[in-house]
Parts: sequence; structure tokens; C-alpha cells
Amino acid sequence: MNAPIAGIPLVSIITFLPLAGSILLVFVRNGSDRAVRTGALAMSVLTFGLSMALYFGFNGASGLPEFVERASWLGRGLDYHVGVDGISLFLVLLAAFLTPLALLSSWRAIGDRVKEFSVFMLLLETGMIGVFVSQNLFLFYVFWEAMLIPMYFLIGIWGGRRRIYATMKFVLFTMFGSLLMLVAIFALHAAYFRATGTYSLTIADLAATSFAPGLQTWLFLAFGLAFAIKVPLFPLHTWLPDAHVEAPTAGSVLLAAVLLKMGAYGFVRLGIPLFPRAAVTFAPALSILAVIGIIYGGLMALVQKDMKSLVAYSSVSHMGLILLAVFSLNFEATEGALFQMLNHGLSTGALFLCVGILYERTHTRLIRDYGGAAARMPVFAGLFLVSMLSSAGLPGLNGFVGEILCFFGIFGSNKVLAGLGVSTVILSASYLLWLYRRVMHGPLKDPQDTRLRDLDRRELAVLVPIIVLMVFLGLFPGTILRKMDASVSHYLDSTKAKPKVVSALRIPLPPAARVVGPADRGR
Amino acid sequence: MSFMALAPLIAVVAGALVALLFEAFLKRKDHQVSATATIVSLLVAAVLIVRSWGLDLAYFGARLALDPLALILMAVFVLIAAFVLLMSLEYAPRRDINLGQLCGLLLLAVSGLMIMVSSTDWLVVFLGLEVLSVSSYALTGLRRDDRASSEAAAKYFLMGSFAGAFFVFGLAILFGTSGDLSFAVSLSGGSGASAPASLIHVFGLALIVAALFFKIAIVPFHMWAPDVYQGAPTPVTVFLTIAPKAAGLAVLFRVLAPLSGRAGTASLLLQAVAAAAVLTMFVGNLAALRQKDVKRLLAYSAIAHSGYLLVAIVAGDGTSLVFYLIAYTFMNAGAFGVLAALSGKGEEHTSLADLAGLGRRHPWLAASLAVFLLSLAGIPPTAGFLAKFYVFSAAVAKGHVALAVAAVLASLIGAAYYLKVIVAMYMQDAESEPALDRENPALYLVIFLCLFGVVQLGVWPGNLLVLIRQALTGLFQ
Repeated sequence: MNAPIAGIPLVSIITFLPLAGSILLVFVRNGSDRAVRTGALAMSVLTFGLSMALYFGFNGASGLPEFVERASWLGRGLDYHVGVDGISLFLVLLAAFLTPLALLSSWRAIGDRVKEFSVFMLLLETGMIGVFVSQNLFLFYVFWEAMLIPMYFLIGIWGGRRRIYATMKFVLFTMFGSLLMLVAIFALHAAYFRATGTYSLTIADLAATSFAPGLQTWLFLAFGLAFAIKVPLFPLHTWLPDAHVEAPTAGSVLLAAVLLKMGAYGFVRLGIPLFPRAAVTFAPALSILAVIGIIYGGLMALVQKDMKSLVAYSSVSHMGLILLAVFSLNFEATEGALFQMLNHGLSTGALFLCVGILYERTHTRLIRDYGGAAARMPVFAGLFLVSMLSSAGLPGLNGFVGEILCFFGIFGSNKVLAGLGVSTVILSASYLLWLYRRVMHGPLKDPQDTRLRDLDRRELAVLVPIIVLMVFLGLFPGTILRKMDASVSHYLDSTKAKPKVVSALRIPLPPAARVVGPADRGR
Repeated sequence: MSFMALAPLIAVVAGALVALLFEAFLKRKDHQVSATATIVSLLVAAVLIVRSWGLDLAYFGARLALDPLALILMAVFVLIAAFVLLMSLEYAPRRDINLGQLCGLLLLAVSGLMIMVSSTDWLVVFLGLEVLSVSSYALTGLRRDDRASSEAAAKYFLMGSFAGAFFVFGLAILFGTSGDLSFAVSLSGGSGASAPASLIHVFGLALIVAALFFKIAIVPFHMWAPDVYQGAPTPVTVFLTIAPKAAGLAVLFRVLAPLSGRAGTASLLLQAVAAAAVLTMFVGNLAALRQKDVKRLLAYSAIAHSGYLLVAIVAGDGTSLVFYLIAYTFMNAGAFGVLAALSGKGEEHTSLADLAGLGRRHPWLAASLAVFLLSLAGIPPTAGFLAKFYVFSAAVAKGHVALAVAAVLASLIGAAYYLKVIVAMYMQDAESEPALDRENPALYLVIFLCLFGVVQLGVWPGNLLVLIRQALTGLFQ
């Protein structure tokens, strides 16, 4: 494990720099919106710059977390313990990459309470990065829950007409799942202590311990519910369209691009490695729900009248594919799922940005209010098209690589589900291209309407980096996949053979008889 | 055997007498003297408490023992009293509340609390309880021209006397069956682990527990609580929602913790407590969900929090109980403090509609209240989250998984109404702009200290947690 570069706690700095920025912003005088916007943008750009150092410094050969920092915090296993491995590194990068773009995109859209907006955006960034870098379950939960609050404010203050309903639904849905997960964490904490006589909530320690099948089932269900709500898995998805439609553009972007990934990430980081036996048991059921989600989300997207809810349902569909791949539990599918998580973050983020750009001009998101916009906005039309094709998985763009990997893997595990899952390719092409045709082509809805200006420089600066990355990842996916390989194999190993061990919560056994803990595996 | 065991108590009582005497005989109408006497006596008590740490002082044949649990809670009471006093400095004169009387009664109540938490004998507990009760009734009714306040005091007095009668009846039964009123003997009717207590004995114990439940506002003995909490002057509400609860729970903990894990009739009592905990959490939270007045909402939330605290009692875990109490002190005092800051001259502005748009009008007050509410809801990284974390995890570790699940589901309901208040402050626009009190530095100091406490205990409770753990290990094994 490599030490932090020259003793600099890089991961902690990246995690808490946005938080520090938000604290500074609080003390900026009210009214100086421009200074606030610039400051927040500078902070997030700096964070992204530092996270690139993480990328270049990351070795990835061992499959274990790198840049590890560990300090005792509250005692009894509740430690401060962060680091990145091949699975989390790119999600950190995604969050750090999209936050400045989201801030830039709301330069004009958010005119009211700019200071609070910037503060919450930066807090959200700290929460998102924190979830991905946590190597301790307690720390993970703290970030997981804490992150809800900025998003709650972002939707509730700067959202649309039904924003309060949407934000309450979002928070309560998510919290319901995570509170049950909290009880499961308590049970894990207690079971680990009974099994080994020491306290630990380090994820690696827990993953190295095998819990009794009965206990695993309950814990997996509790964790799985929290993650399934977040993904969201059909039929727990109902909060998502509401939240997306009401959220401001920047909120939608981060919600779709990063927050949804946390559910899938949760399965890969915790749900499956900690409770492999239960995960294998429930994988078929979850896969079926994922397939239903793929088809249902796609069909719903076809009939939406609002562009934002169309993209929201497309997220349900795409996330279904990612989960289907995750539960195939083989190498190709897992790499595909992880890669597809990045792709979905980029393409859906870009789509929400595009919808936001249109909305800023005309203040409507209804598809029927548009038509022929391509004539007035040629540059925008091009970028919008690329984002769509990326989302639909056109070869040459990033989405294709992810989908093809996913399908290779899924076919390897279940051909029927794979066959049904492939429908996503057709469905997403249909609803996206149909959307494009209705909005961008055809006669101009109102030739007198001068509001449809083409992109200005700021908007180009928001969209172009994402488009460039889409093309780059489509052409050179190996730059990312190779850094993932070792971690993915390590993860898949952890789901397989483990020393057979029994440790139920209520059954007191003599310590020696119960468990083969990490100590016995030569660690 | 040391007279020093009484020192903190004497300091407080002396302060109370001085405050009341000055109030009665000094004709000047500023109440600086009483307030100063109160502050001095609280400081002296604080110093004495700190000096007694680790000495294990006891008096009255060890019926009054300053063990670490008692000392920590006594320190908490001193802190609460200081908060209440600071909050009242401006609040009281503006509502025609006699500050001198408030000071005296407050100190008397604190002395009652101190007796309760340091006693190991039922009769001494009763002594403390009555001192506390009588002063609380008077504190509640301090706004004599206000009908809500008087009604609350009358209600509190009637119901309280009823509970007192329960207590005495229970005492009589205990004494009749065991011939001794010390906790140790009263527990089992003979301390042998296997000896099952006689049914009448458990009945006596149950009556006492019910009387304590009344003080802590546990469902179904909570009926008085919302009206009293809402009707009392806001600083007094802070006191009532925290202090009697803490003392009652400490007594319950001393009595019930040794029962944890035992079989027989004793476990029956614990099961009843667990049921009461579940009931309290759900009734308190569901009732709070429907409130339109934030003070009343917080009153119901105080009932719900009694339920969470009872979970710690069922788990028999003192560390989490004390940590929760301290965290709750900060977040609850802070939340009511903001409400006190929002009230104008003579009237309270605490309805949800009054709070609408507060985020724009008073960003700092609104942000503070938001932090307190998020902490009450148990969202990290605040003290409230860590407190819940420790309590519920103790419950799971002791095998009370169903209780923990009920508790987290109840906190979900809790989150809904705490967030409702935040919605009003930040996501709705003001319909009217009620006039606020002018600057009130002492109150703002309290709010700031609470804010500091909530954040610090949530992020880095290090020393306090270590202190509590050290204090309570080996105390009840």
C-alpha cells in the first residue's frame, strides 16, 4: 500500500476542501453574488485538480485501497479511515468533475440566495466524495446520511412548483432505507465483536468475516433496501421522477450523475462482499426487478411529456441495467457496471444540462412547446445529439463500451435476463431519438420567438468538457478499465470462498469456536 | 462518610435562599442581586462538583452518594440552570415574570434534582422528587397574568400530586414487604440473583416506576406534558423538558440496570419498560406530526425523546444514556432558545406561519434552529445522531433488535416534522413579519454555546465520551 504522497493526506484534503470552502463562503458579505459564485467555482475546480493527482498517483496493481489514511476517532471501531481503490477512484473523480460544471451551469439560473446555494453545493460535494472514500462503515454512514441535507435544501429552496413535496419525499424515502441499514450496522458491530472479541467497522475486516447465513440474510435485506431505494430499483423508484422534475438543473445533474451511483456502489462495496451468501441467494430476485426496471423505465420514458421526467425515467432504466450487471457477479459484468456508472453520470448529467439550457431560454420543459430548435441553435443541437447518442450507446462513444461489457457479462450468467435486458438498447434509442426529433427538428414552433439563442461561452464551457470525455472514454476505455482490473478481481474474490464461519447475533458461543477472523487469514 | 458530599447541594440551596430573601426584602425592582447570587452559587456548585470527582463521597449512611453518575448529572443540571438563567435575563422582565422568584425556584429545583440523582434510597429519592416538583409547579405558573401559564401550573400540580401519591403508595408496599427502602434490597426482595421477588413487591416497584414515568413524561403518563411545556415560560420549558427527565431516568437506571439480563418477575418489569418506550416514541412523534405550533411540536418531540432515552434504560447502558442526555440538553435548549429569541414583547411567535421566511429575515437564527432540528432528528454529523447511534446500538448489542427497529422507524416520523419546520423557515415566504425582541446578548450566548455543543459532540466528542465511559464502567456490574 503506497503511503500518501510525501505525507500529504490527499484524500482528506479532497474530501474536506469543499467543506472548508463552504464555511468560508458563509462569511462572505450578503449581496456579493459574483464573488460567491467565483469562490465556490474556484474551490470546486481546485478540488478537481487535486483529485487528478489522485488519478495519476493511483497504482491499482494490488486491488487494495491506496492513499489510505487512518486515525482513531470515536473508539470501538468507529475510526476515521479513508482511501480509494479502483472501484471508488473514478466515482470520486466523477463527483469532483461534475460539481464545478454544475456550479457553472447555474451561474444565471440561480439568482436568488446565491450564497446559500453555493454553500449547499459544496457541502454536497464533500458528502459525495466522503461516501466513496470511506473505508469504515460508520464513516460511510455519516457521509451517506449527511449528504441528504444539502440535497434536501437544493431541491426544497430552488426547485419547481411542487418542490416541497418532492424534497420531503426524497428525504423520507432515502432515510427509511438508511435507518434500517443503521440497525444492520449495529448488528454487524455487535456480531463482529462477539465473533472476534475486538471492535471493528472497517469494511475490509467485515468483508473478511463470514457471518451466519440467517444473520446474513437479514443484514443483506437491510443494506439492500437502503441501496435499492437509492439506485433506485423498481418498485422503489417513485421518489426519483418527482425529485428530478422539481430539482434545479445543478441538483438534477448531481442527483442523477452521482447520488444514484451510491446505491450501486453500496452493493459493490458493502452489500455483496459483506454478505456474499445472501447476495447470491437474492441475486435472481434482484436481477428480475432490475430487468423490470429496465423495461418499465424505458416505456415510461417513451410517454413522458416533460423532458426532465423523460430523462429521469431513462435513469431508472439505465440504472436497472447497471444493477443487472452487478448481480451477474462476474468480471466482465462488474467492470461493465462500474464503467457504465461513469457513463451514465456523464451522459445523464449532460442531458440534464441540455434540458436546463433549453429551460433557461423558454421556461418550459414540455416537449410539445418545442420544435425545430436546431435551426436556431446549431451548436447546441450537435452537443445535445452527442449526449443522447452516448446515452443510447452508440459505438465510438463511451456508452457503447459500458453496455457491451455489461451484456457480455450478463449473457455469461443468465441468457434470458440478458435477452430481456438488451431491450434497453432499443428502448433508449427510441425515446431519445424521438425526443430529439420532436424538440430539435421540424418546423420552428414560433418563428418570431427570439429566445432560442445558441450557446454562449459559459454554456460551452459547461458542455464541451463532458462531450470530450465521452469521446475520449469511447475511444480509450482502457485508461480507466485497466486501473479497475485488480480491484474488481479482488472484489469478486471476496464474494467467493471464505472460511466457513458461524456467528449469529443471539447465540453465545465460546470465542474460539465461532469465527475465523481476519487474524486467522494471515493479515 | 464525609460532610463534603453535601457541599454542592448546600451551595445551591444557599443560593436559592439568598435569591429569595433579597427578592422579598429588597425594594429595588431590578433583579441584579438575585441573578448574581444565582450565578455565584451555580459557579460554586460547579467547582465543588469538579473537586468531588473521583473521591466517592457519601453521607447519611451512604444513602446520598456522589458517585460518578451522580456527579456528571449534577454538572448537567448546573449547566441547564445556567442556560435557563441566561435565557431569562431579558425574557422575564418583558413578560412581567419576577426574575428573583424565578432564580430562587430554579435553584431549589436544582437541589431537588441533585438529591434525586445522588440517592440510593427510595425515601431520599422521594424527598428530592417533592422538592423538585413543588418548585416546578411554581416555575410553570410564573406568568401569573397569562392564562395558559396558570392553567399549565394547575394541571401540572394536580397530576403531579397524583403521581406523588402513587410513589408513596409504592414506598409503603416496598417497606412493608422488605423492611428496607434502599435500592439494593428493594430490587429483589433479597439480593440473591435467583430469588424471585414476590408479586406484591414487584407491584410496589411498578407503582414507583409509574410515578417516575410521570415525571419523565412517558406514555401513558404523559397527558400533562404538552400543555405544561407549551404553557410555561420558554426558559422554564427548557428546564422542564430536560432536567426532571434526566433525574428520573438516572433513578430508573440505578434501579433497573442490575435487572438487565435477569429472568423472572424482574424481566417482566423490563418488558413493560420496553413497551412503554415503543409507545412513547410513536405517540410522541405521531402527535408532533400534526402540530402547527413549533413550541407544542417541540413539546411532543420531548415526549418522543423520553422514549428514545428509555431504550437506553432497557439496554441497561449507562454510557449511551448519559451521552444522550447531554446531547439532548444542548439541542433542546438551543431549539427553545431560538424560539425565545423569536418572541416579541409579551407574546410568543412560535406558529409555523410565524417562522415562514425566517431564513431570509434572520439567517443566523434560522440556521441555528435548523442545526438543532437536524440534531433532534438524528442526522449526522450532529450530537443527536451520535446519541441515537449509541443508544440504539446498545439496544441491538443486548439483543433488543425489534426495539431498535421500532426506534429508528419512530425517528423517521420524527424527521418528517423536524424537516417541516425547516421547510417553513427556508422554503416558504413570510406572510407577516412579527416584531422581534431587541438584542438579547445573554440569550444569543446560550444559543451559540448550544450550537457549539451540538456540533462538537457530533464530530469530536472524544474527552466527554471517554469521561462517561470511565465513570460508568464498573458502576453497575
